[in-house]
Amino acid sequence: MSMDVEGVEAPKTKKFQTKDFVKKYNLFFILIGFFIIGSLLSEHFLTTQNVLNVLQQSSFVGIVAIGMTFVILVAGIDLSVGAVLALSGMLVSLLLSQGMNPILAIIITIMAGALMGFVSGFLSTKFKVPAFIATLAMMVSARGFALLTTDGEPIYDLPPMFTALGESVGRIPVPVIIWVILTIISAIALKYTTFGRKLYAVGGNEESARLSGISVEKYITSTYLLSGVLAAIAGILMSAWLTVGQPTAGQGLELDAIAAVVIGGTSLAGGKGGIGGTFIGVLIMSIIVNIFNLLGLSSYYQSIFMGAIIVIALIMNQYLANKK
Amino acid sequence: MKRTFSFLGILTALLLMVACSDENNVNSSGSNETEGEADQLVIGFSQPTLESPFYTALIEGAEEEAEKQGVKLIVVDAQNDIEKQNSDVQSLITQGIDVLLLNPVNPAAVTPSLKAAEQANVPVIAVDRNTKQEVTSYIGRDNKEMGRLAGQKAIELLGGEGNAAGKIIEIQGDAGGTVMQARHDGFHESVKNEAGVQIIEGPYSNYIRAEAVSAMQDLLQAHPDVNLVYAHNDDMALGVIQVLEKSGKLQDVKIVGIDGLMEAVKQIEEGKFEATVLNDPISLGVLAIQNAVNVGEGKSIEQYIDGGTGLVDQTNVDQYLDETKKFAEIK
Repeated sequence: MSMDVEGVEAPKTKKFQTKDFVKKYNLFFILIGFFIIGSLLSEHFLTTQNVLNVLQQSSFVGIVAIGMTFVILVAGIDLSVGAVLALSGMLVSLLLSQGMNPILAIIITIMAGALMGFVSGFLSTKFKVPAFIATLAMMVSARGFALLTTDGEPIYDLPPMFTALGESVGRIPVPVIIWVILTIISAIALKYTTFGRKLYAVGGNEESARLSGISVEKYITSTYLLSGVLAAIAGILMSAWLTVGQPTAGQGLELDAIAAVVIGGTSLAGGKGGIGGTFIGVLIMSIIVNIFNLLGLSSYYQSIFMGAIIVIALIMNQYLANKK
Repeated sequence: MKRTFSFLGILTALLLMVACSDENNVNSSGSNETEGEADQLVIGFSQPTLESPFYTALIEGAEEEAEKQGVKLIVVDAQNDIEKQNSDVQSLITQGIDVLLLNPVNPAAVTPSLKAAEQANVPVIAVDRNTKQEVTSYIGRDNKEMGRLAGQKAIELLGGEGNAAGKIIEIQGDAGGTVMQARHDGFHESVKNEAGVQIIEGPYSNYIRAEAVSAMQDLLQAHPDVNLVYAHNDDMALGVIQVLEKSGKLQDVKIVGIDGLMEAVKQIEEGKFEATVLNDPISLGVLAIQNAVNVGEGKSIEQYIDGGTGLVDQTNVDQYLDETKKFAEIK
């Protein structure tokens, strides 16, 4: 987030803040670096349309990655987001094809996403099922339901009132606007509310959070619920943007979202990181793909390079975290 | 207790999946048939996935034909997992099938399935995708021929043989896939002698519309002077149309796809899209059952049975347009 990266000097008040600042500052520089590399390599990179395309291509992963940040902050993981996105897209398309009012269809779909997230969270906190397994089960069954709704068929002919969500305001695509708004809201919620602070406390040290009277289970479950809601929103927007509900949507999206969160400096061990970093992480990943596409280089190199970037980001975050 | 609960939760999820894939099976008990049905022919059909309209339609065609012929059909879905496919085939053989229709997840890795079938004296017919090892027969389509047809149409659209000129963007299927390779090679074979044609090979978009949209957005930035787009399937071509429409370039760019997806045929009729190549799954399913019945009755069939293909364009689109179908039918 730009709010985290403004200013040139680190405030000298607290050590913790300085470190936090340096981390964000670094990420921002890497992003700028990619922008410079992109502009040098291709004259098509730094055009308004291309930048808009990159933002548009980031928006769905971006929205899902916000939820993933919450989950990873409390040391969890959510593998179900891609499947929940697909099922939500199918559900909203199905309701619309029955002639339901779009607003109502969207509300119902978001509630369904919340329910799926809640079930994952409930399984992992109440029954102590590892998050990896609970969300894997949700991923498999949600994908099954998505395919079951129409026997694997896409749903075409969605009403224009709904597909307007995939259009642009001026030149900015609606999904991008929603992604930015959700990012700002989430960043503020994490930084300035008790809810956000308690999440950090739970992720940092579950036991001491419990001892200080935080209802840990409730907070952990709520992150999965949020993740489900955000995946549902992304699914709704994707259907509107593609003007079709597809049960195979969002395959592999969970891994992109996790990678973006990690590149963004959120620790898989929980308790460290934030939404701003994730936002930049998503952009970095999209820019890499975009540059490769503009240059016409094979997707194989793309994958290798992406792997290297994830590892470098991890090492860098580790190094910064340990620097006293 | 808690453990049992969590285990049950996961089990339920997995069962749901199985229920999804099994729901279109006619009784899969197989072994305890009544006396009257004892001589009924039983055909097993192992599919790599049911996660795409193409494969669900293929099964629909097979099921309708099986009912017509009065034979029993058991369909299993490997969910793109080769291990599962091999154990699926094992259980089909245990259920006492007379003929196996096999659409392999991977052409080489179905060896255990073929061995098991051989031991049980069950003839195997490969459908849609071929197996590496030779089996009784292969019923499929020549994807290379589809690529060639698309290439010939592209040449025609860009000025005709010998004079064709322009920039083509190719939106490709899945990295390393045999179908992708064939659709790529056939197309390139058709246009390789046209000096004026340049092909930009786009990123692999896995036959998925959302990925094709992103790829096309980027390629359009790098190649605003594109004249024609060739997509390895219609779903991706529909994504390309969307990008071109939004950037106001649809009038200047020609589009050719493959599959004969009805949604694409509709767009051809509307003039948004130039051509698609037929790849009708329903007729392939029907062919598979007809030949399985022949083999089951002891007749010999051809080593290779071609499902056929053809081109749908502005000139003949009226013959293929049928809102009730998902794919255009081969005439």
